[in-house]
Amino acid sequence: MIVQNLLYGLVNVLKISNLLTIALGTAIGLFVGAMPGLSATMAIAILLPLTFGLHPATGISMMAALYMGAMYGGSIAAILLKTPGTPAAAATTLDGYPMAQKGQAAKAFGISLTASFIGGMISSIALLTVAPLLGQIALNFGPVELFSVAVLGMTIIASLSRGSTIMGLLSGAVGLLLAMVGMDPITGTPRFTFGNIYLFSGIPFTVALIGLFSIPQAIRLIETIGNEGGKHKIDPIKERILPTIQELKPLIVTIFRSSIIGVITGIIPGTGGDTACWFAYNEAKRFSKDKDKFGTGIPEGVAATEAANNAVVGGALIPTLTLGIPGSSTTAVLIGGLMVHGIMPGPTLMTEYADVTYTLIWALLFATIIMFFVGLIFTKASIYVTMVSNRIIAPIIVVLCVIGSFAINNSFFDVLLMFGFGVVGYFMDKIKMPTAPMVIGLILGRMLDVSLNQSLIISHGSWSIFVKSPISAVLLTLALLSILQSTPLFTYIIKKIKNPKKIMS
Amino acid sequence: MLRKFLLIALVLLLVLSVVACSQKTEELAKPEQTEQKQEQQTPDYPTKPIKVLIGFKPGGGSDALAQLCEPFLEKILGVTFINQYIPGATGAIAWTQLAHEAKNDGYTISVTNTPMLMTNYIMNEEITYNIKDFEPLANIVTDPGIIVVSKNSKFKDINDFLEYAKNNPGQVTVGNSGVGGDDFFTTLIVEKATGIEFEMVPFQGDGPSWQAAMAGKIDASFNNLGITYPQIKAGNLRALALFAEERTPMLPDVPTLKELGYNVVSGSSRGFSAPKGIPDKAREALIKAIEDMSKDSEFNKAAAERAMNIDIKLGEEYRKYLEEQEKVFIEIWNEIKDQYKK
Repeated sequence: MIVQNLLYGLVNVLKISNLLTIALGTAIGLFVGAMPGLSATMAIAILLPLTFGLHPATGISMMAALYMGAMYGGSIAAILLKTPGTPAAAATTLDGYPMAQKGQAAKAFGISLTASFIGGMISSIALLTVAPLLGQIALNFGPVELFSVAVLGMTIIASLSRGSTIMGLLSGAVGLLLAMVGMDPITGTPRFTFGNIYLFSGIPFTVALIGLFSIPQAIRLIETIGNEGGKHKIDPIKERILPTIQELKPLIVTIFRSSIIGVITGIIPGTGGDTACWFAYNEAKRFSKDKDKFGTGIPEGVAATEAANNAVVGGALIPTLTLGIPGSSTTAVLIGGLMVHGIMPGPTLMTEYADVTYTLIWALLFATIIMFFVGLIFTKASIYVTMVSNRIIAPIIVVLCVIGSFAINNSFFDVLLMFGFGVVGYFMDKIKMPTAPMVIGLILGRMLDVSLNQSLIISHGSWSIFVKSPISAVLLTLALLSILQSTPLFTYIIKKIKNPKKIMS
Repeated sequence: MLRKFLLIALVLLLVLSVVACSQKTEELAKPEQTEQKQEQQTPDYPTKPIKVLIGFKPGGGSDALAQLCEPFLEKILGVTFINQYIPGATGAIAWTQLAHEAKNDGYTISVTNTPMLMTNYIMNEEITYNIKDFEPLANIVTDPGIIVVSKNSKFKDINDFLEYAKNNPGQVTVGNSGVGGDDFFTTLIVEKATGIEFEMVPFQGDGPSWQAAMAGKIDASFNNLGITYPQIKAGNLRALALFAEERTPMLPDVPTLKELGYNVVSGSSRGFSAPKGIPDKAREALIKAIEDMSKDSEFNKAAAERAMNIDIKLGEEYRKYLEEQEKVFIEIWNEIKDQYKK
């Protein structure tokens, strides 16, 4: 039965019309992803109603292809302009942009594309083969476990705080505070909304992220006008993009680790690419021999985040298709699309609607392959951006930010909010306060708040519930280790174990 | 240096012009409104596309209803429908716009769902619309409330569940879709009717609530039939009781609370409303179109495929329904609000 469905899906996906829509979806995804301010979720939300006229399998496949394409596309803007094209590429700016500044933009693209491709393939194959097995993981993540995921995520802030730890923690704390804006999830009381109903649903973190990352960069670009001589102009035709085997070899472990992190983060309901990229970056740094080089433009940093955010796509679809539980906010929109088509999301997707589901799964695999080739051409073209003057690029970034922040909720208030964050981000940069921790605080703060309250209601007020759940206990232990790892005492102990004589003498 | 300054000025100008533009369109809207009044005298309706404000994300329940009805309504009325998604504040942003900003010319309507339509302003004074600002056109679907538990749950039927809950007050954890949602109020109504005290766990939507019940993280989830039906059918969830007037043919073995002697009928409803004071012509045309649609067997088939429970209430009947519901929610909220408004 399964083999039959698999074959049916394969044959269906190989129809010219389907391949074309998948290619179109991937291309739109690459384009939308590459535009700072425009995110995949937004593009899918806008384009989804247009696909209602298509056959469900075709329409949904196109959207999944768009999702996949956008995850790579996001890195293009992140590397070239230091403005993440999608929230999931926010961590790519940390090493991607410094690489471009060193004149290695093409190399960064090549690594990003290869990592995205491998991440996408691993997750597509996981979806194709072991999805029903992995889907069950999603069920194991209830409020208690999600709380621990959020706690573990918070420890990333410490490792992102290059330079001043105090500044990083402060930035993270402000992010957490901002996450408290909106209706209290337990009592329904509006908090810090000042009677403004546009704040009732909280601050959309995508809006904050666009403001914090892209607007300051646009202003910086304007500031450097006049001394652009130092800017590395790359010749798109001569430049080699794809990495050699030698270059790829040291990255392969990172790429595989990040892909697994991506798949699992994708499976966990409520966490998507925006979280996975930080987790992957953090783990790459943890296992790296030269931790200090992270943030200065090393290939590992780019490979880690880009493999992870593409792996999220397949990962997020696993619980979506096996159980009807969306693994990320983007797949939640996709599920809605299925419902509009009259397909009830649930365990019957794999059986009753096998025609649509298996077509979608194969479509994802083909979208990944198409992404690799179309991405190569697209990237070559996008290198021309380095030849364009900042006086043109900066206003374009601002315009795209306005469009992107407006389109999320069709709300002009969000545009103003985005500019507010832009100004804050600019001055944070001036006082050397990192903006990334604030975004993490915003992303995880809401999850932390909701899941903590829910857990304590479920346990009737007992905190021991967090250690009684095995998953939660492991995650919290990891979080504790992460914190200890960044303290001087731990470094001392590690050194002592590894090299006892040196310390003694 | 001067050039740099000029460029920054340019960017600022750009931003300001965007702001200005948005205000301009609002100003422009006013004279148009007077034009519309003249149009009201003209007998033809509809002559141009009808805008549908949707207060939730594309692909949500409101969108699903709009996408279900629109092809049929387009055929009957001969004009297209344009959906505008304005998610936020559980629909309140869209409904505030419908009440205060939308032109009442019959060309802007909205998907209105209970209980959020009423509980939004009952629970928050900051929300400035109420149902008197609307012209209810018709209710289309009602998704009855349901109690579901995991397939591995010790509760085999509703009697098990209620008895255990009665003997262990405040110990049974039940999920709902969020404070102010239908499941939240349903739980309160059940508590009142049975005298049982539950431990209520609010989730961010129906999905996380049934998922937590399915995984056994909570004892039960108060949810909706249409949403949980695929999982019930697959055997992952067990339905204990339905909050409907009578049993559903989808789950003939699941009793209603009414049968057990508790008068609890509850669920979430979705329909269409227009701003108050739309031309009679438009109102009648829209209601007539919905009535015709409800008699179309194709429409009923499409609804059944989506596990949508058709519950047509036209015009005045819908208005009365909304008013009655409002009364019920105000009463419940007044009783419990001290617990929530700290």
